Amino acid sequence: MALPQILDFAAAAPLRAELAAARGAPLELDASAVERLGGLCVQVLLAAEAAWRGDGQAFQIINPSPAFAEAARLMGAQALISQEGAR
Amino acid sequence: MDPMDAIKATYFQECDELLADLEQGLLTLDASEGDGDTINAVFRAVHSVKGGAGAFGFEALVAFAHVFETALDAMRSGKLEPDGDALKLMLRASDVLADFVQAAKGQGVVDEVRAQGIAEELAALTDHGAGPRVSEPAPASDGGDDDWGFTPLKFEIDEPVSAGGWLLVMTPTSAMYAKGHDAAFFLREIERLSSCETALDLSNLPDLDALSPEESYLSWRLRIPGDVAETTIREVFDFVGDDCSVELTRFGAPAPAAAPPAPPIDFEALLGAVRGEPAAAGAPQVNEAHEERGANGADKVSAKPAALGGATIRVDLERVDRMIDLVGELVINQAMLAQRVGESGLARSSTVAIGLDELEQLTREIQDSVMAIRAQPVKSVFQRMPRLVREIAGSTGKQVRLVMEGEGTEVDKTVIERLSDPITHMLRNAIDHGLESPQDRAAVGKPEEGVVRLAALHRSGRIVIEVTDDGKGIDRQRVREIAIKKGLVASDAALTDEEVDNLIFLPGFSTASTVSNISGRGVGMDVVKRSIQALGGRIAITSEPGKGSVFTLSLPLTLAVLDGMVVRVGEQTLVAPLTTIIETLRPKADEVRRLGPRGAVLAVRGGHVPLIDIGVALGWRTTPIDPTIGVVLLVESEVGGRAALVVDAIQGQRQVVIKSLEANYQRVDAIAAATILGDGRVALILDVDVVLDGRSLDRPDNLLLAQAS
Repeated sequence: MALPQILDFAAAAPLRAELAAARGAPLELDASAVERLGGLCVQVLLAAEAAWRGDGQAFQIINPSPAFAEAARLMGAQALISQEGAR
Repeated sequence: MDPMDAIKATYFQECDELLADLEQGLLTLDASEGDGDTINAVFRAVHSVKGGAGAFGFEALVAFAHVFETALDAMRSGKLEPDGDALKLMLRASDVLADFVQAAKGQGVVDEVRAQGIAEELAALTDHGAGPRVSEPAPASDGGDDDWGFTPLKFEIDEPVSAGGWLLVMTPTSAMYAKGHDAAFFLREIERLSSCETALDLSNLPDLDALSPEESYLSWRLRIPGDVAETTIREVFDFVGDDCSVELTRFGAPAPAAAPPAPPIDFEALLGAVRGEPAAAGAPQVNEAHEERGANGADKVSAKPAALGGATIRVDLERVDRMIDLVGELVINQAMLAQRVGESGLARSSTVAIGLDELEQLTREIQDSVMAIRAQPVKSVFQRMPRLVREIAGSTGKQVRLVMEGEGTEVDKTVIERLSDPITHMLRNAIDHGLESPQDRAAVGKPEEGVVRLAALHRSGRIVIEVTDDGKGIDRQRVREIAIKKGLVASDAALTDEEVDNLIFLPGFSTASTVSNISGRGVGMDVVKRSIQALGGRIAITSEPGKGSVFTLSLPLTLAVLDGMVVRVGEQTLVAPLTTIIETLRPKADEVRRLGPRGAVLAVRGGHVPLIDIGVALGWRTTPIDPTIGVVLLVESEVGGRAALVVDAIQGQRQVVIKSLEANYQRVDAIAAATILGDGRVALILDVDVVLDGRSLDRPDNLLLAQAS
């Protein structure tokens, strides 16, 4: 599953819905196209990560774009991408 | 509309208000009336524009606003004197900032050279003013290339440099996100101030299933080095106000090594406290946290979300217009109903008639309330004028001070939006043609700086706009010569001063010997006159050689309704605007005096006024009726002329809904508009001024003047 370019206020609800629908199976999110990542979508991604961890399923964000990595770092959410190497 | 677009639209609306505040503040300072609060307000305005621009990624706007803000910051901290030159520069900078906002809207382009020049001047101001305390240049904004060659400077203002640090707990609210701001933006701004450690607090993040995507759950804890001033940190959050809870606490003793890392649990408890939640099982920690702050002589700053009072709402203008249309229909409908009930022969005291009276009052109240919704102060038009005046003054080399009065005067939205062009033309004319150059002014003993006064006021149910200049006045000799040369009047025409003044409203008239890019194309004043007449308005000049001119513009307060006297003339029903009527009377035979073959005057209280038969004036009949069997309306025109209008009978007085004749048919002289009466018939609304002016129609010298008016 690929993440959209803009993950802002308007993108949070569709993202949550998509993720909720994908639940129950290992998930790989491609963040290579992301140009903007906002706080609300970080919330959704963090909650998803926790949910997948709780389900015992793999959850990975791969190919983070520089913008994605930078925003994740700014918001202290490096765990979202660094876990890629951890698993 | 896309939610982001809606947020952006709101941002631009706020920008317009902020830019107006900015200009107002700078003008206040320029008039030496401002104080620290004014400087703060000006700073906040620029800062808020910049903040929103950052959220939407308008990099050029952010970059310019940043330089501007830096200069204002220096002024705020007293490093830069708010004197004339600096303020003039800042006023120009506010114009450029407005251009950037327009460009961000996708309307218009920014003059890059001008912007860069002003940015450099601003940077020079602060460079000079800041002296040795300039810190190292702040890093450029992310992705935003400072391609103008200026270096953003940052000043430490009022906080002594100290060790230890700041602990910032930032908890955005859902409202903040809903307004298009993002936590990432603030974190980035903080990082621009100084390197910091960021920790994310996930404790409130619910399960994915329970998560509401537009709710805010996260909060951030940041450690910021102590040498960053508190105000600098707080400013980052200035423009979100209560939408983001910010708790700033000083930690650590002067020796950095002694700064004890506070255990995370404290912050969670703190967060709980901030949110007003019971700090379950965390009460001791809360106390501990308080003690820690107390022990360190802490300095706590907190901004808690507060319930916003629903003071104003923004409503789409179309909805208001639709409501006004509907209320207009309601008024007509109510009048028709009343008429039918009257025709049905019910007694006036019957319950139906009484109910109808009440309905009429209610309808009237609804109409007034609806009109009040649309009424706006003329400020929105006036606030664009200082910039215009600065630009005209700049390009003509004249020194101009604009004085504005009555910005709070309210007028209907329909009128407001059409005021801008005439006022613009009149101001241009006043500066370009009215005011002399500084040398000429000095030569005649006037101050070099000319004064142009723009005033709005209510007068007898109309709004009056006056543009006054203290320039040279109208050169009547030259106006006359030019008019003759252009064949606009006969060379032997005997014209009064007033008539000469009015020549400048003739199409194709221009006195400027060289065509400037401001005025002088000869399309100015006749266009003004026509556009004002189209609004049911009038324009008049009074001028005194050497002392200046006054242009007076008078417009109806609304273009939607009118209080009128319904009269009958022959077979026709007419409405005369009530504001023009002084009194009505039925003359006695000895009060009517013949004057010449066709004319007549009426003796009223020792004076004489011309008698005009409306039926003849409008061409409905060829011979006037006997005034003693008709009714006379004593009317006064805007310029003060009086006349007695003869009609057959008065039918009543009522509020009518104006239906434009131009929109539905075409413009007709002496008729301002039309309306629909209670019986469903169309009645014409009389343009009293034109009828009064029409008296001169049969004087050959004035044929052209009459055409021009």
